[in-house]
Amino acid sequence: MWRPVAALAALVAVTLAAIGLTFSSATRTPADFRFVNGTEPKTLDPSLMNGQPEMRVATALFEGLTRRDAKTLQPAPGVAETWEVSEDGLTWTFHLREDARWSDGRPVTADDFVYAWQRLLDPTTGAEYAYFLHGLVGARAYNRGGAAEAPRFGVDQGVFAPDPHTLVVELEAPVPYFLELTSFFATLPVPRWAVETHGDRWFLPGRIVGNGPFLLDHWRVGDRIRLVRNPDYWAAEAVGLETVDVLSIEQPTTALNLALAGEVDWLPSLYPPELVDVLQERPDFYSGPGMIVYFYRLNVTRPPLDDPRVRQAIGLAIDRREITDALLRLGEIPATAMVPPGMPGYGTPTSGLGFDPARARALLAEAGFPGGEGVPELGILYNTHERHRQIAELIADQLRRNLGLRVRAYNQEWQSYIASTRALDYDIARAGWIGDYLDPNTFLDLFVTGNGNNNTGWGDPDYDLLLAAAANVGAASQDPAALLAAAPEPDALAAALAPLDEEVDPAQRTAQLRALRLELLRQAETLLVAEGFPVIPIYFYVASGLVQPGVEGFYSELSLPDGSRAANLQDIHPLRDIRVPAARN
Amino acid sequence: MGVFEAIALAAAFLALAGTAWLPSRALRSVGGAWAAAGLLVALRPLLGFAPAALLAVALGALAAWRLPEAVLRRIAFALPSLLLLTYVTAVLMYLAPGSPFANERAAPPEVERTLRERYGVPEDATAFFTIYVERLVVEGTLGPSIKVQGRSVEDLLLPALPVSLALGALALVLAVVGGVALGVCAGLRPGSGVDLSSMGLALLGVSLPNFVVGALLMILFGIALGWLPVAGWGGYRHLVLPAITLALPTAAYVARLTRSGTIDAMQQDYIRTARAKGLPERLVVAKHALRSALLPVVSFLGPAAAAIMTGSFVVETLFGIPGMGQWFVKGAINRDYSVVMGTALVYFALITAFNLAVDLVLAWLDPRVREAQ
Amino acid sequence: MSASNAALPRSAGPWRQAWTRLRRSPAAVTGGVLFAAITAICVCLPWLLGLDPVTTDPAARNLPPSPLHPFGTDALGRDLLARVLIGGRTSLLIGVAATASSVLIGVLVGGAAGLYGGRVDEVLMRFVDFLYGVPYMFLVILVMLLFSDTARGEPLPVFLALGLVQWLTMARIVRGEVLALRGRDFVLAARALGASDAGILVRHLLPNTIGPIVVYATLTVPGVIILESFLSYLGLGVSLSWGQLVAEGVAVVNPLRSYWWLLFWPATFLSATLLALNFLGDGLRDSLDPRSPAGGTSPAGDRH
Repeated sequence: MWRPVAALAALVAVTLAAIGLTFSSATRTPADFRFVNGTEPKTLDPSLMNGQPEMRVATALFEGLTRRDAKTLQPAPGVAETWEVSEDGLTWTFHLREDARWSDGRPVTADDFVYAWQRLLDPTTGAEYAYFLHGLVGARAYNRGGAAEAPRFGVDQGVFAPDPHTLVVELEAPVPYFLELTSFFATLPVPRWAVETHGDRWFLPGRIVGNGPFLLDHWRVGDRIRLVRNPDYWAAEAVGLETVDVLSIEQPTTALNLALAGEVDWLPSLYPPELVDVLQERPDFYSGPGMIVYFYRLNVTRPPLDDPRVRQAIGLAIDRREITDALLRLGEIPATAMVPPGMPGYGTPTSGLGFDPARARALLAEAGFPGGEGVPELGILYNTHERHRQIAELIADQLRRNLGLRVRAYNQEWQSYIASTRALDYDIARAGWIGDYLDPNTFLDLFVTGNGNNNTGWGDPDYDLLLAAAANVGAASQDPAALLAAAPEPDALAAALAPLDEEVDPAQRTAQLRALRLELLRQAETLLVAEGFPVIPIYFYVASGLVQPGVEGFYSELSLPDGSRAANLQDIHPLRDIRVPAARN
Repeated sequence: MGVFEAIALAAAFLALAGTAWLPSRALRSVGGAWAAAGLLVALRPLLGFAPAALLAVALGALAAWRLPEAVLRRIAFALPSLLLLTYVTAVLMYLAPGSPFANERAAPPEVERTLRERYGVPEDATAFFTIYVERLVVEGTLGPSIKVQGRSVEDLLLPALPVSLALGALALVLAVVGGVALGVCAGLRPGSGVDLSSMGLALLGVSLPNFVVGALLMILFGIALGWLPVAGWGGYRHLVLPAITLALPTAAYVARLTRSGTIDAMQQDYIRTARAKGLPERLVVAKHALRSALLPVVSFLGPAAAAIMTGSFVVETLFGIPGMGQWFVKGAINRDYSVVMGTALVYFALITAFNLAVDLVLAWLDPRVREAQ
Repeated sequence: MSASNAALPRSAGPWRQAWTRLRRSPAAVTGGVLFAAITAICVCLPWLLGLDPVTTDPAARNLPPSPLHPFGTDALGRDLLARVLIGGRTSLLIGVAATASSVLIGVLVGGAAGLYGGRVDEVLMRFVDFLYGVPYMFLVILVMLLFSDTARGEPLPVFLALGLVQWLTMARIVRGEVLALRGRDFVLAARALGASDAGILVRHLLPNTIGPIVVYATLTVPGVIILESFLSYLGLGVSLSWGQLVAEGVAVVNPLRSYWWLLFWPATFLSATLLALNFLGDGLRDSLDPRSPAGGTSPAGDRH
């Protein structure tokens, strides 16, 4: 009898020992501020990251030339104290502050930026966001790696450091949103010596050198990242939090339960979608429009979707109100175009995709499929997610009700879904696109012929021409005839081109060119949603989440310097400016 | 799958099956050699080449000389099994659609080429397998993770392993204690109301999916009552709910084993003798019946430990626990090839080790088994 | 261990005895009746009542049970009764089909190993041993990924994947039984009369091992159904099954507000089916295979 008991006792002893082992490093006091970050950050190397979870941590550990002001999200002085731009908008000069330091005590210099940007564009780095700097002279050629001669970018092209505290940037054409890019994670500085010493592991705890308001203290994969205040940050006294816990939680139910039990302070959008109406009534809930479009791609290489009439009919048969008002209920805006509202100076194009089932049936009949007869069963592919499933099943039923089509909604996990959409192995596929910067171009350039993110098989030379013209509007305006021929609404474009013939001062000319650029983009978008229909916009997202009462410096609605209010379109909340009540510390 | 893959698979499998025919002396040398090889690969990163080699050779020789033949046969079988598993996994992963380098935003082909080069993930399963095994043998590493950059697979698995072991061991203890208690109660009065209700209770553990039980426990004890943390990792209290959730299906199974073991034992002659001698019923059960009733439970501990370890992925996902289970699901879903290979190898090694340990414990507990060996 | 079957004359005797024993076990009878009832309801009721699990109605979202919708409605206003019953068809189909394929593979492999013995036996059992060491969920997920671009939510890949990992214990059981029987008189007699190997296996050996096979198969079905629910929880399952509905239901049970019916009904059907099959399996084992230890052949825990 004693032997089984001994065996059991031994098992218990091993258990307790194992448990003790796992906690010795993990037990710690709760942080000042804890938030759910969704998936585990893939990397903390600013040049290699690609998503929101990485971005939230990166902007705490590093600081770019500019940083986002929490209240306005406008670029505010970061490592650069001041800057100026040349009259032609092509040369930017940044003056770096003297007291910016890396966490190992070295000063932050202009060379750190030159190195980081060279590294970002170096084709062997494999940076997904390298195209962010393609507007710099010589950048695209360097990134594409075709040139056999030694790279000139950062040497005598694109970006230079005339002295340690001055950085000069040369653009190929004026980029209206360039200053915004200097706060984006892809343009953050990188410590060359750390990268050269530790290779691709330089950002792990104990090795990482940062220049942001926080330091990386502890990183347990699958659990949390612990950040602590950086005492050597140039504005250390402006940082309100001593410690921050960044939790990797992927289950919406678990995340919401943590928030309800008060175990996290901020929960961005990761909650069971069905609870949205109850959550909305809580004081700790916030929501506001987001710069994200939810849309369906149509595979234009597959009959019968190769017929634009069929594609338009599908777009016309979707009742977006039913989705936004009955299912989503957060004030999402039904979308009939790709570019979300809120782009300064941009007019929404006339769309051919509003809900009109009668016209949809007529178009389908015209295409040779009266009452949906003769159309094979269509599949709606979505990546595995509860919300996508509901929307796909609802739309499948709407297409059945309104057009008589047989439609099946089916899911694939993320990697298969990406593979299928890339290979055009689908009929209709769900997609979403987050704007990287506040400009229509971020939504439109993916449908250029052959763009790696097009994934519809669609291409239109007119569309390509209009977008190319918008990218270098000064040069393009020299050949108005070609532009007018490509434009779907030539009268409106002619109106934007007309003032260029007048003699005006440079400031006015810049404004005119900017207006022309936006008109060119609007014309391009018109091709997309009124003629070509490779995509069917469904709605514009609303960013939402839960934040504990009493958290300060958290702005779900922005107050711009001119006194107006604006939406926090990307749900960005810099940790630097967040404060929690003293009682909780 | 190409012809080459098929031939390689068949060859690997024949090597595996061949270990069954090794004559006794050959078995001793092969088992010893493979034990030494495995130890060398495992110890090298820790000790450096020369000390590891010395230790491995010494231990291998000791194993060849002293270990029982059955154990050596298991070792001889395990090493080719690991290779076969690695190869099968590689082929299956390459057959699955998708690639670890695909992101929502397409990268230019030159970027993907760079990444494939950097992570040692060529476009072909056999080439990947070669690189992987070579890296494992020469550098003693399970390879870099693609989706958690800057970390090797052992960087991910080493901190996760004790977490899963702790959770699994606690769940196993709970399952055995709870299951044996229920099973004995039921087995002493088969067919009675006590029997039916204990077994009904035990069966509830296998008749609701883990994620439902766990979610309900989380709501009840984490939020409504506020007694325990909702989720996450950090203290002993974080362990309770997931361990209970994880223990339930195994407890149900242990209860059934114990019940029939008890029923059997109570019908044996020596129990009747003990009773006839006038021993109190409590003592009869404690001294005689339990002993034989528990033997099947002990032999079930190996598979049960493996079950709990590998079955914890749902519980780990639900409670946000940084254990091993997450890697095996995340690795496969993200097509993080090295992570998938690494978790498969570690799990296979764990399961083999548990079964070996249980064999040894059983021999120690039960003289009949000892003699049979 | 199969002496109880083989020792008895091959008449209706053993089956009648088993039936008598089975009838005396109230749990097994209840389990059997319940399982039959659930199956009948899932198969017939949607057809008799013309239930529709796909038509959405945004005006009738998340309604609690009412006379019009006895189980309530889901987030898209679909009738939950229809979805639970149609989903039940899928779950039962997956359970039965995966079990059937595991029986097929298990009987072939185990039968061949037992019948031929020697090297064939060694090779086949080494293969089984190898697969025992592989975490089964790992194989299931890999196989599911293979089909992920062609499956489109159909149940076929799911039961193929699950069947592929469930046959190992079946093979061991059949092998053990066949090995014990193949030296017996009636097998030797058949062989002397020139019966082929396949003929001996099908006509003489399998009928005498049917008891353990039935018991194990009965206990495999609930194991498969619960595995399917894990796949659904991970988003790798089929588009409509009990597992899928339960996974959806769990997401909306929350202290803030619970659409309890979305969890309650599918979970009740799922648990009732699993309980019924487990009770039936235990009862069958007691009556068909009385010598085997309980759970010695249960799939609930040993294949993890």
